[in-house]
Amino acid sequence: MLVFAASDKGGTGRSVTSANLAYQRALLGDHVAYVDFDFGSPTAAAVFDVPGAIRGIQENGLHSYLEGETNEPAKIDVWRQTEHPVLRNRPNQAGRMVLFPGNISGGEFATDEDTLERCVDLLLRLNTEFDLIVVDLSAGRSYAMDMVLAATAHPRMRHVPFRWLVFHRWTRQHVIAAAGLVHKDFGILECGAGHGHDKDELRGHIRFVRAAVPDPESPLWSQVTPAQAAWMQACDEALRRLASDNRIGDSVVLGIVPLEPILQWREQLITEEDVLSKQIANKETLEAIEEIARRLTDDAYWGRP
Amino acid sequence: MNAGENDGEGAVLLCGEVRTCLLPAHQALDIRAAAQLLRLRADERVLVSERPNLYARSPDTLTGVDCPLPSATGAKVRAVGAVAVRGTLTEGRVLQTSARLGLTARGPDHRRPWGHYLVRPGTLEPFGRLPREAVAEGVLAGARRGELDVGLIADGLLTVLLRHPLLDQHPPFKSRPTRLRWTALPAAPGAPGPSIERLTLAEDELRTLRLRVPPGADPAEVAGLCEDLALHDWLLTTVVRLLDGSRLGSADGTAVVRALRPAVDHLLHLWMPRARLEPSLAALWDALEERPGFNRQWQVLVRRIRDQLALHAVPALHQEAVMAP
Repeated sequence: MLVFAASDKGGTGRSVTSANLAYQRALLGDHVAYVDFDFGSPTAAAVFDVPGAIRGIQENGLHSYLEGETNEPAKIDVWRQTEHPVLRNRPNQAGRMVLFPGNISGGEFATDEDTLERCVDLLLRLNTEFDLIVVDLSAGRSYAMDMVLAATAHPRMRHVPFRWLVFHRWTRQHVIAAAGLVHKDFGILECGAGHGHDKDELRGHIRFVRAAVPDPESPLWSQVTPAQAAWMQACDEALRRLASDNRIGDSVVLGIVPLEPILQWREQLITEEDVLSKQIANKETLEAIEEIARRLTDDAYWGRP
Repeated sequence: MNAGENDGEGAVLLCGEVRTCLLPAHQALDIRAAAQLLRLRADERVLVSERPNLYARSPDTLTGVDCPLPSATGAKVRAVGAVAVRGTLTEGRVLQTSARLGLTARGPDHRRPWGHYLVRPGTLEPFGRLPREAVAEGVLAGARRGELDVGLIADGLLTVLLRHPLLDQHPPFKSRPTRLRWTALPAAPGAPGPSIERLTLAEDELRTLRLRVPPGADPAEVAGLCEDLALHDWLLTTVVRLLDGSRLGSADGTAVVRALRPAVDHLLHLWMPRARLEPSLAALWDALEERPGFNRQWQVLVRRIRDQLALHAVPALHQEAVMAP
């Protein structure tokens, strides 16, 4: 299955959260590919802690592949090549985790027929090999987004299941922006329809992930004054109404990731050790990510709302 | 093999690469569809055979090259010629593409007209003298950017074949492709026959093979041997992975059966080493039987799968056995 990770704005934790989803699925035994289509700001190397392996991938990253300069995009076996001390011990029964990095210095580019065919070739080959393929897209409306919408509508891809995750923070601006990315002009639905997707069906393949959401019930906020607490509740309520008015209400939310310093600051995979022995990450965060990872393939959470 | 009558004439070093993968189609292709898939040239027919198993092989296509050869010592040697590449399909299920070339011991210091190379398909001539050992090791170690990369030529054909409209891109199970990179040097005079000098599993999906073959051995036949080896290595690797992923013992019965079923449906009947090898090269398989013991491992795997399926076919008995004190 293909999972496209999108967001309208930066700073939603899209890359780091989707990498964590890939990691959780690998722990469950899936073979997982993480494809970095975040052209312009590839961050996957930092998230998976493979800086050494990335050096020298200026030449045969995904840009070079899509532009026809190389026929085989570089790939990095994360378990083997990571410098993260915990990840280096691949747990028993864990699936493979392979990163396909972008070029270090490669920005956006226009797509033509040839690029599209190569994109389809790549996604199909990955689909024969991996149980889950997470494709991280640049923030906003991008050529990459347009390309994968065209690719998933391509006749050769008709048997490949795909799903979209749209990440946004829990603020007014982010809620409106995320809704716009899906529903408004040149958004996912409109672009998708332009490439031959059925709009309603495509909508059934899209779910939202609310990121960096402060939970008013959390012990983090237990010291606030009653006035502050009431204000937070009211804001949360108002945001829920706004989300639902913009058609991104609870029924299309796949999961909620709490506000978590480790995701915001360090942008790395959260391991059980971070929660249990080092206690630098919150248990709730790990559980939220595990839950979303499970729901990715649970049909009960997908389809037309 | 009409195109290959002069194949590798005067070659002192043969090398190539084989890509092996599961055909991305829900149903195995029948022999007619296989021939259609592999019809790469209008002027030549696809070789098809139904005994001892279903097998189709495309005619050779040629890729002209003029570039430096990989070399272990860093020596710069340019070579010109046409690399031969072909595709095969076994039992309508396993797709392989295979690129090969033979290098002559020496060549002129300039490029000749292309016609010269085109009548010698699969033969490359170096500029000057060929540092044979350095190039043989360089090929196995892998080409750097700009150097001749036979693997990319094999992959190029694979990309073309995978786009064929006959394929519904709906493979019945997940599997990994493999690559076998090989070189063959002439055996010493008086040597009893062909031999395997080295077979390594370099990365998860890359195997490298260094052979010695009788001088004058037909490069197409040697490539055929390597394709056969690659096919069976892929089968072993794939079935081992299916067993690994099935979590025997811990999972419930239906999960185990679901995980193992693709092996029974699509793979177990494919094992048929040396089905089409020339007798003199087939002897190489004997060495593989000794070490690493291809056949032995396969027999054990097949038995394990059958035992598992038999075990789960009798759920009632199984339950009782578990519950008894």
